[in-house]
Amino acid sequence: MAFRADSKPGAVTDSPAPASSNGGGAPGAGAPATKIRKTTRGRAPWWVALIWLGPALALIFGVVIYPAIELVRASTGDYSITGLRRGSAGVDNYSHVLSHPALGTVLLNTLIWVAAVVLITIVLSLGLAQFLSKEFFGRRVVRWAVLVPWAASLVITARLFTLIFDYYHGILNVFLTSINVIDEPIDWLGNDTWTMPSMILVGVLVSIPFTAYVLLAGLNSIPDDVHEAARIDGASAWQAYRQVTFPLLRPALLVSAVLNMIYVFNSFPIVWTLNDRNPGYTHDTTITFMYKLAFKSADRDVGASAAAGVFNVLLILVAVVLYLRLVKWREEES
Amino acid sequence: MSWRQIRPVALPIFGLLVAVVFLAPYIVMLLDSLRPGSEALASPPTFLPQHWQLDAYGEILGDSRFQNWLKTSLLVSLASTAIVILVAIPAAYFSARFKFPGKTAFLFLVLVTQMFAPTSLVVGIYREFFELSMVNTYGALILTNSAFNLAFAVWILHGFFAALPRELEEAAELDGNGRLGTMLRVMLPLTLPGVVTATIFTFIAVWNEYVVALTLMQDDDKKPLTVGISSYVTGYDQNWDQLFAASIVAIVPVVVLFAVIEKHLVGGLTAGSVK
Amino acid sequence: MGATGRTRWIARLAGATALALGLAACSGGTGASDADNSGGGDSAKEIKVVIAEYSKDHTATFWNAFKKTYEDKTGVKLNLQIISWNDIDQQASTMVQNGNPPDILNLNAYASYAKDGLLYNSDEVLTDAVKSDLIDAFVKSGTYNGKFYGMPDLSSARALFYNKDLFAKAGIAAPPKTWDEFVTDAKKVQALGGGNIGYAQPLGPEEAQAEYSIWLFNNGGDWKSDGKWTINSAKNVETLQFLKDLSVKDKVTQNNPGKTNRTDGAFPLFTSGKAGMIVGFGPLQGDLDTKFKNVKYGIAPMPTKDGSAPQTYGVTDYLMSFKKKGNQDAIKKFYELYYAKDQVNTWIKSEGFLPVTKSGLEEFSSEASLKVYLDTLPNIHLTPTDDPAWDKIKLAVQQNLGTAVSPSGDPKKVLDDLQKTAENGG
Repeated sequence: MAFRADSKPGAVTDSPAPASSNGGGAPGAGAPATKIRKTTRGRAPWWVALIWLGPALALIFGVVIYPAIELVRASTGDYSITGLRRGSAGVDNYSHVLSHPALGTVLLNTLIWVAAVVLITIVLSLGLAQFLSKEFFGRRVVRWAVLVPWAASLVITARLFTLIFDYYHGILNVFLTSINVIDEPIDWLGNDTWTMPSMILVGVLVSIPFTAYVLLAGLNSIPDDVHEAARIDGASAWQAYRQVTFPLLRPALLVSAVLNMIYVFNSFPIVWTLNDRNPGYTHDTTITFMYKLAFKSADRDVGASAAAGVFNVLLILVAVVLYLRLVKWREEES
Repeated sequence: MSWRQIRPVALPIFGLLVAVVFLAPYIVMLLDSLRPGSEALASPPTFLPQHWQLDAYGEILGDSRFQNWLKTSLLVSLASTAIVILVAIPAAYFSARFKFPGKTAFLFLVLVTQMFAPTSLVVGIYREFFELSMVNTYGALILTNSAFNLAFAVWILHGFFAALPRELEEAAELDGNGRLGTMLRVMLPLTLPGVVTATIFTFIAVWNEYVVALTLMQDDDKKPLTVGISSYVTGYDQNWDQLFAASIVAIVPVVVLFAVIEKHLVGGLTAGSVK
Repeated sequence: MGATGRTRWIARLAGATALALGLAACSGGTGASDADNSGGGDSAKEIKVVIAEYSKDHTATFWNAFKKTYEDKTGVKLNLQIISWNDIDQQASTMVQNGNPPDILNLNAYASYAKDGLLYNSDEVLTDAVKSDLIDAFVKSGTYNGKFYGMPDLSSARALFYNKDLFAKAGIAAPPKTWDEFVTDAKKVQALGGGNIGYAQPLGPEEAQAEYSIWLFNNGGDWKSDGKWTINSAKNVETLQFLKDLSVKDKVTQNNPGKTNRTDGAFPLFTSGKAGMIVGFGPLQGDLDTKFKNVKYGIAPMPTKDGSAPQTYGVTDYLMSFKKKGNQDAIKKFYELYYAKDQVNTWIKSEGFLPVTKSGLEEFSSEASLKVYLDTLPNIHLTPTDDPAWDKIKLAVQQNLGTAVSPSGDPKKVLDDLQKTAENGG
């Protein structure tokens, strides 16, 4: 990426070393994590930090925090169906959400949705990034093509897939029957067995570009001589990948996994649009559940929806922290 | 035949396959934009349009509403991206190169901003800008988009800055550069791929944002594309061809931006440029 | 970083987050005061009008022209916001939650807003001439607690659309008049094979309450009678069982009717010439006449269970006005202009809907294609939109009816549950 190890003053790396998280524990995608020496430059007092971080903090405090507070405030409010606040609801909204008959289904759906999309995305993106880092004829075009599902609006992509998946007018069934993959058309969105897999397919398709590019940046940041060294040591391609490349990719992997988890958790358009023909909560995730609580169910309660929104943030927070701990634990093991 | 012989053929063929897989849905979109809207949901469906037409493109490109939405999208995306990059660079640089109290907390706080689902925050966002009398202004939309897209840029850039060797920085300071000068003149050029990555990621995120724009922007001509083009298909009136034509057109600026800066994104700098 | 480092790390970020939240709470925790965006003073200088988008080509065109006329006439600025039907509930709620409702809101419900005391009634904002011109059925459905709050913007009525070519092929001479005939005819069309479907039945969440209402009205049932909810009445259970049997027993519908929406599911089957029958309305007719000319269709009254006189199911949306300081006069002028013949009827015609005024009825009567609906309009049968509880029940119906018609569904149980919801106030 930034430079080759052999061509700059004070080579960063002498040997391939497992990446360690950067100073503060925040890993970066594409970060050449090949350093052994510390790269941070000593301490700075808090007020100096404030100057450098000031604009970022101002934006966050100025824009994000207030709506977050409002969310918490709304979660304790008693609201009419119109959105009119009638008073305080105490913790009623929270207990309403916790005792909601659909909660179990929704949580299970969310777990399946997030785990499946993130895992499949990461695995496929690892392969794809590896492939896109190779030199070959037409590589630029392939890179552009991979970008498209990401560049397209998610709302429209989701809409497009309701057309593609449709039992009657969808092209997918025509295609699959014409190449004899299936004998009978499948109701991809209406058949309960297929709804979630169909949503996951779209989720993966739109998540791969982002993930693959983070990993590609990470791959490109690994100096070539690391691979050469491994090859000279007689390692097979797979061994070299597993023992050299993969560990060096860890920072990029970590950042793409964490951000993917958050994005997939909060992904609304795909689940909402592909599931809009199905009654009830059978295929809803926490985020569409929140929306239905507020606007599309007999609850019609923005207070309960806000409470669900608070739970949702906590859920993501816990998931991310657990993931970070898990990764850390692995590192200590090895 | 050895791999060495097959490779020049096999890789491009596999690449073609990959491209087709990723493009397939959007080829369907393109074909749907080239057939009359009435054909899009016809049963049984056909791969190719039965009547080819470019009318949808003529219709949307000649529509002043569409032009306004496009302008808004460009303005908001470019401005938000610029703010994000300008704000994220010093924050990422400093948090990567120095130890200070609250450093990890800062990085995590940035990440936490991503954890709120936009749909659950719009009420508060609306209230905030309503109190500031900024509803229906570009400023409100740009600020909101900037704030909610800081996280990615800060984390990515942090990683790039953290990876640079300390000697570079020390040498720069010996040359008489101050801290800011070091960052701008020496460190930043080396993290250009990171900057480019953050730029494209932010641009796409803002370009496709929907719910905040829907909530903050009232006037039709101040809506971005994502919100505006929902007009093409309603419960009473469906213009699938125009919806998809507009969506295809909306992809173009992103791909152009990407094409222009792609080589920086993943190609990295050449060794020679590091001095 | 060791284990202790990790713990400290989490503690620190937790502390920082708490601090951040605390700071923000101090700086911005106060609620927004009731807003008056109309510029102060006794009479509003501007009003905000939020309109739902019926179609891309006509809604904005009409309302932009209306805005100009209104502004020229009154000197009051009209801030127009057009929002898609998908998002308007959420957007309206956001505005009300923040104490900043629009002055005029176009929505498919009003009673809850009236119940919350947010709306002007007709005595406050309608001239007598305007009020007396409105069709009585709509005045009735817009009346909550004896006051008229829900001013109708346009209406639509549903009827049975049938495919003449499929009927001819199946040897059906005339559209069905009874449910038995309906099933027989649907079976004949279904028996044609080739992917043809007897009846396209949308009972998915988009509009399940409409599809069901049409059938239950024509079985002599209703949602409410004599002021009491009758959702699980014998007639209604029978109706839902009948609808379920259409797909499960008679097999004359498309696949999964409980998971089929109208717009992207049932209508396309009819416009593709694949469905023998469907319940349709004006906009579908408009599409058939312009975009799907190869589908030869007829329109007939709905068949009834026992062959008695058919009921017409109708829908109207509303233009309600919010009480805010100083805006009453501007709102009165808004309605006066909107209900002027050359305004309201122009829009309704362009969108392909039906009139809401008596003068509109007269004006539309020359249009032969609308005759089937216009004759029924004065006696149109609406859902109980005048009851605030309906605003929630409608949603419960949309979310649950589809499950009742699945092979394992239990119509009686679903309706019992809905009845319970209704008796608990929605």
